[in-house]
Amino acid sequence: MSGLQTEGRVDTGRILTVESLSTTFATERGPVRAVDDVSLTLDRGQSLGIVGESGSGKTVLSRSIMGLLPSTARREGSIRFGDQELLGPGAPDMSRLWGREMSMVFQNPMVSLNPVMRIGEQIAEPLRIHLGMSRRDARSTAIRLLRDVRIPEPERRINQYPHELSGGMRQRVMISIALACGPSLLFADEPTTALDVTVQAQILDLIAEQRAERNMSVILVTHDLGVVAGHTDVIAVMYGGRLVEIAPTATLFADMRMPYTEALLASIPRLDQPSHTRLTTIPGRPPELIDPPPGCPFAPRCAYARDRCREERPPLSPTQDPTHSYACWFPVGSPEYLETREQLAAGLTIGGRP
Amino acid sequence: MTDTIEKRLGTLFWVAVGWLAVISLLAIFAPLLPIKDPDAYYLVKGVRPPYSPSGTHWFGTDQDARDMFARTIYGARVSLVIGFVAIAFGMLVGGTAGIIAGYLRGRTDKLISFIFIVFLSFPSLVLAILITALLDRGLVTIALTLGVLAVAPVGRLARASTLSFAEREFVTAARAIGAGDRRIIIRELLPNVVVPMGALALLGMAVAIVAEGGLAFLGLSVEKGSTWGKLILFGAGSRELEKSPWIAFGPIIILFITVLALNYAGDRIRSYFDVKEIGL
Amino acid sequence: MNYWVQRLTASVMLLLAVSMLTFGAMNLLGDPLFNILGPAAADTKPESLEKVAAAKELYHLDRPLPERYVRWLGDMVTGDFGVQFGSTGQPPVSNLIAERFPRSLTLIVMAQLLASMIAIPWALITAARANRPADRVSTINSFLLIAMPNFALAVILKYIFGIKLGWFPLTFKATDPWLTRIYQTFLPALTIALPAAAVYQRLLRTDLITTLQEDFILMARSKGVSRRRVLLRHALRPSLFSFITVFGINTGALIGGSLIVESIFRIPGLGSAIVEAILREDFPIVLAIVMIITTAFVLVNVVVDIVYTLIDPRVKR
Repeated sequence: MSGLQTEGRVDTGRILTVESLSTTFATERGPVRAVDDVSLTLDRGQSLGIVGESGSGKTVLSRSIMGLLPSTARREGSIRFGDQELLGPGAPDMSRLWGREMSMVFQNPMVSLNPVMRIGEQIAEPLRIHLGMSRRDARSTAIRLLRDVRIPEPERRINQYPHELSGGMRQRVMISIALACGPSLLFADEPTTALDVTVQAQILDLIAEQRAERNMSVILVTHDLGVVAGHTDVIAVMYGGRLVEIAPTATLFADMRMPYTEALLASIPRLDQPSHTRLTTIPGRPPELIDPPPGCPFAPRCAYARDRCREERPPLSPTQDPTHSYACWFPVGSPEYLETREQLAAGLTIGGRP
Repeated sequence: MTDTIEKRLGTLFWVAVGWLAVISLLAIFAPLLPIKDPDAYYLVKGVRPPYSPSGTHWFGTDQDARDMFARTIYGARVSLVIGFVAIAFGMLVGGTAGIIAGYLRGRTDKLISFIFIVFLSFPSLVLAILITALLDRGLVTIALTLGVLAVAPVGRLARASTLSFAEREFVTAARAIGAGDRRIIIRELLPNVVVPMGALALLGMAVAIVAEGGLAFLGLSVEKGSTWGKLILFGAGSRELEKSPWIAFGPIIILFITVLALNYAGDRIRSYFDVKEIGL
Repeated sequence: MNYWVQRLTASVMLLLAVSMLTFGAMNLLGDPLFNILGPAAADTKPESLEKVAAAKELYHLDRPLPERYVRWLGDMVTGDFGVQFGSTGQPPVSNLIAERFPRSLTLIVMAQLLASMIAIPWALITAARANRPADRVSTINSFLLIAMPNFALAVILKYIFGIKLGWFPLTFKATDPWLTRIYQTFLPALTIALPAAAVYQRLLRTDLITTLQEDFILMARSKGVSRRRVLLRHALRPSLFSFITVFGINTGALIGGSLIVESIFRIPGLGSAIVEAILREDFPIVLAIVMIITTAFVLVNVVVDIVYTLIDPRVKR
């Protein structure tokens, strides 16, 4: 193995440690804090789901960790990949890591693939840059990669352009590009949102399969709880740029604490409900990130919010289970929560409902 | 409202307009101004012309000891008039034809458009040279020739503008209340088409002035009097450039600034109204 | 297929109209007889009358205009451009054209080459540094270059490079070897190239900036592709379309527009030929050159269309 291949490589154990990461954008109307004091960890082979509505900061978070931000963005905090610190002085040139140790699958494959470049070339590019492969080797590797992602007739597809493929196939190509150099960390940013429902499951299964085969870590960003339910080990819930709950998947669904998480779950339509049941939505809109009010960001829309929620910001604190943390003053199951629940059921409202 | 328009167009815009006003006034009132006589020979005994720029001759003199500053100002008279008449003619004829073509569509449009395209396929300078060489080379001829050349591009723009406006709702509304074609053209379309044309007028004038300069360089501009092109030509010979570059560079600078001002002003008006368009 | 047939017919009709216009202008606005024979045309002496009769015969001047037009058109299509008016020995026009055409061609090719070589790197640099100081300065420069009249630019360049720096010769001999001729053509080519480069650069820069906002650029970066490579390999190609279109159309425009530059720098090309011919009222030359220039212009536009469909894989053939 050449030096190129082992640089930055993490084989087992903790692959990612994020501490107090904040990302601020300089805009005309003032600084926008899109990611606010987020901390999390990830092990090799583990899969983390980041869920939230649009505007919750989940995409910015994944891009902040990867470092794929425009020049107007400033990051604070610490990101450790393996034993390398990615922020601050001494930070490595990210171009060496991108495509090699960490890569990203983007949301809309039609606009994320270069429309005037052949598929084969686009796959071969990282191979030739990072692994120094010759044109021929890169070509045969590309064919093999296409086969891995289950694209039929890869020899023919290699010479085609993106617009000649269907949406599902394009996304598979994207995945093959991301996997080309065998990264240890894959970011999947809403990988299925632009696809047909039937194709979505296939793509998610493909990612899961590759993850198992390569012992690769995956960070899956989505607004759809249904997507993360079957495909992640840990789920992190984001709201207003902050991490409001994080737990292993099963624990989250069984024992969620944050009312926002509960509301998210409730808004998923269920097959076993009688038809024409009104879909539950979360009223209101995501918060303004420019001048955030004090207190919990979800307070304006939370049915269970009380005065304390609006004045003091709840810290992220663990339950008895150290892998499960949440940020709420009156979480699900607490006396105040239950009290409010009764009142809601009786048709009375409490302040906090817009 | 006028306040915001002024601010949006920018200070540089008003500087450009200012220059244009100054140069026009200088040109118009030239005979009344306290400048030297452009045709007089200011020979100094014992010294051979041309004389370099000095306190008495701001732009120096040419090979016959004529004051270059005065000649440039008087040259402005002809150049500006030609530019103005040319674009005015072009806008009148071309604009009308374009609006009619854009509004009436059908056979009229096809015919007018075809005429436009034929003229546009001509290397325009060739046409200008053709006509000016065959007819006399008076002020009016040259101005009108350039005007004829302006008809096609102006017409094309007027037509495109009309086409896009004619689709709009306020025209349909006017028609719905029974307004006749002529009325619609004059009261609804014309005011809107005039705006992009205004920008075109400034830009077109710059082009016309430059075109005249080009003709002058080929020896095909007006026979009597001087224009900026002719002045520059007289100063552009190898010997002149070597020993007395000011003869050419005086008029070049004035010409350049004027053309620049016209271009800039026209550009600003165009982008200002484009922005408004998008806001529509 | 239908589209191309339409295109072809339209082009042919266009050329016919142009030829009619030119032929009409030349014959109606001047007096060919006067030109050939000088004052003798109006003379009533028997020898002069003989000359007049002979000239009339040779040039078919006694036939009605439409007939002359058709004759001329027929001749031209078969390659016979006629003979030059009023020159002794009356060499055929085609000779003149064959002689002058290469020089005009060299000039235009060189100008376009220079313009591209200047414009593309310029655009890449300014797009990469969009809105920063270097870019702002460059925008002002482009504007100035475009506003500058070409003859003024010619004079300025002549002054700077010909006289002050003495890099380029100011006199030419027809017997110069072709290498020298290329050297001589450099300055006039530059005069044409600079404003063209400014236009190309502006266009290319805008398209590059737009392309750089696209998602696939971000994706390329996420693969670890360096900024430089992203610019050259990913952003440039999709951004070239407007530039190529304008480049092609401009070639056509340059064919006619090099007139002034040829005259100023005394290049013996088609442009200066037509100017001299017009001044002499030498019809066959004028007609022939006008037709050549216009045909070239129309042809170039068609070629640009074809190239466009070939380059962009998204456009259906």
